[in-house]
Amino acid sequence: MTPRIESGEIVYSIMVAATAFRDGLATIAPWRLGAGERMAPYMFLLPAFALVSAVSFLPLGFAVVQSFFRSDYLELGRFIGISNYGDYLYGRGGPGFVWNSLVYCGATVAIALPLGFLLALVLNENLPLRGTLRTLLILPWLVSNLIGALLWWWLGNPQYSPVIHALRQVGLSAPDMVTNKHAAMTAVVLCNAWASYPLVMVFVLAALQTVPKELLESAQIDGASGLQRFRHVTFPIVSNTTMVALVLTTLHAFKNVEIILLMTGGGPVGATETMAIRVFQEGFQFFRMGVASSGAVVVFLVNVLFTLAFIRVLRGESST
Amino acid sequence: MSAAATAGLRGRQRALGSPSPAFRALQYGFLALALVFALGPIGWGLSTSFKTPAEINALPPTWIPHDVTIANYVESVLSERFLRHVFNTVLVVLACLALALGLSAHAAYAAARFAFRGKGLILMLMWATIMIPGVAVIVPLYLVAIWTSLYDTLWALVLVYSAWLVPTLVWLLRGFVAAIPAELEEAARIDGCSRLTAFYRITLPLLRPGLLAGSVLVFTLVWNEFLIAYSLVLSNESRLVQVGIYFFITEVGIKWGPLTAAAMGAVVPVLAAYAFLQRAFIQGLSAGAVKG
Repeated sequence: MTPRIESGEIVYSIMVAATAFRDGLATIAPWRLGAGERMAPYMFLLPAFALVSAVSFLPLGFAVVQSFFRSDYLELGRFIGISNYGDYLYGRGGPGFVWNSLVYCGATVAIALPLGFLLALVLNENLPLRGTLRTLLILPWLVSNLIGALLWWWLGNPQYSPVIHALRQVGLSAPDMVTNKHAAMTAVVLCNAWASYPLVMVFVLAALQTVPKELLESAQIDGASGLQRFRHVTFPIVSNTTMVALVLTTLHAFKNVEIILLMTGGGPVGATETMAIRVFQEGFQFFRMGVASSGAVVVFLVNVLFTLAFIRVLRGESST
Repeated sequence: MSAAATAGLRGRQRALGSPSPAFRALQYGFLALALVFALGPIGWGLSTSFKTPAEINALPPTWIPHDVTIANYVESVLSERFLRHVFNTVLVVLACLALALGLSAHAAYAAARFAFRGKGLILMLMWATIMIPGVAVIVPLYLVAIWTSLYDTLWALVLVYSAWLVPTLVWLLRGFVAAIPAELEEAARIDGCSRLTAFYRITLPLLRPGLLAGSVLVFTLVWNEFLIAYSLVLSNESRLVQVGIYFFITEVGIKWGPLTAAAMGAVVPVLAAYAFLQRAFIQGLSAGAVKG
């Protein structure tokens, strides 16, 4: 059993280089690597854990600390209690942006979930060109959020857009997303739903593969209609996966910055300002780091609460 | 179309009751609408990227360009600026491949092969970090990057991306390690290999399908990421692709032709990576990770 080396495989040659390095280390400093069987698993696991902690836990802890102090750009000032949180929630136009976050997440899910779910059901059947259709319908998932936002922005351009032109042709006036609040929210929600539905589709499609054919057939023999087969056989099997897709879609919408930043910048007059975009703006446009950190803590806590609630729901469902 | 007829020919479909033509028509109508929704923005961008400036501003708008031109691609994708950003992104991808895959392969090995004190806790903490939203840590990461002089360097990006990738990669690779029979390593160790040498000589080469799948994950994350690349890098020379496109808007001005061309140029590598992943997975599965 010898390792096969094929030219041009970067990953593999990096691994080979690492092997040579570690083998060399083993000869020079054997005590470091042969530190006994008991320590071996930690030697394998801890470097990865150290990096993850340093980049994820430490900054999070720092954000918590900073959120209670006045900050002057890079300098930590004096302790000011929760007034940064007050600034985050009540500063600049009040807490309406919390509502915006709810609308943004809710509307995204309301479009992406049924769309992805129905597409999965249709694509699970024996259609001609099924593989091609799947690939085409997954495309929006592969486009980065920034580029997706760019494309939707261009498609919603009031002057040259084919969609708005067509609407005008049939006598409808399409409001401009730069000035109209509802048009702005609609535009960012459509873009986000467009980017999100393929995840639901892929998840549900995968779950549908686990529905036993025999079960469907025997249900049919027992006289169940198509709708009944779906309700009593298919849906119970895929509902857990759908729940996971729902949570992932909501969390993605909740923490997403790119789409709103590029399409509306939170405007007009804060109509599309969400909790995540406000953190970004406080930090990188107004450089109020303390306020941004308190927002970051709030966003994180909402994230955690949502995840925990979802785990409880999942556990509850699987136990019944 | 003869869709209903084709469907009717399939035995299993018939066994489950072939749907009525009306239902089939409904399905196709739905699929057509979904396709318009999915491909509309991409198609419009693709169309614009091949148009002349005059046609981009023409009314009524045209879906198929009259005079196809590649001038937009020459101006954006082939510009020194864009190529520089692609080069930076590739550098970061390579460094992340080495760091994230290297660390994850070791950690996945520990997770799959050993039972030890604290294993559950460490792994749970690591996987819990997947739930930390990027926007919640950009401000502290920005400050830490400035204090450690890593701000505005590609190293800062390599460290953050690797840390974000490690939990997912450990999850992915753990399954691949578990699928490799432990007897292979035991045989090597009886022949005198240390545990580490056995890992490098036996396990790692057999882990190649997993590493390939993981490298596609690494590539797509780094290539598509915007938030960290925007927050931790300032100068044009160190920007990655997505940030480059964002600043294209603010610094060069909104020129839709070159802008959509750059967007299209930035999507293609991800599509290629995805196609590669599908092939690699199918090959990896059919070849069998272990030949014995």
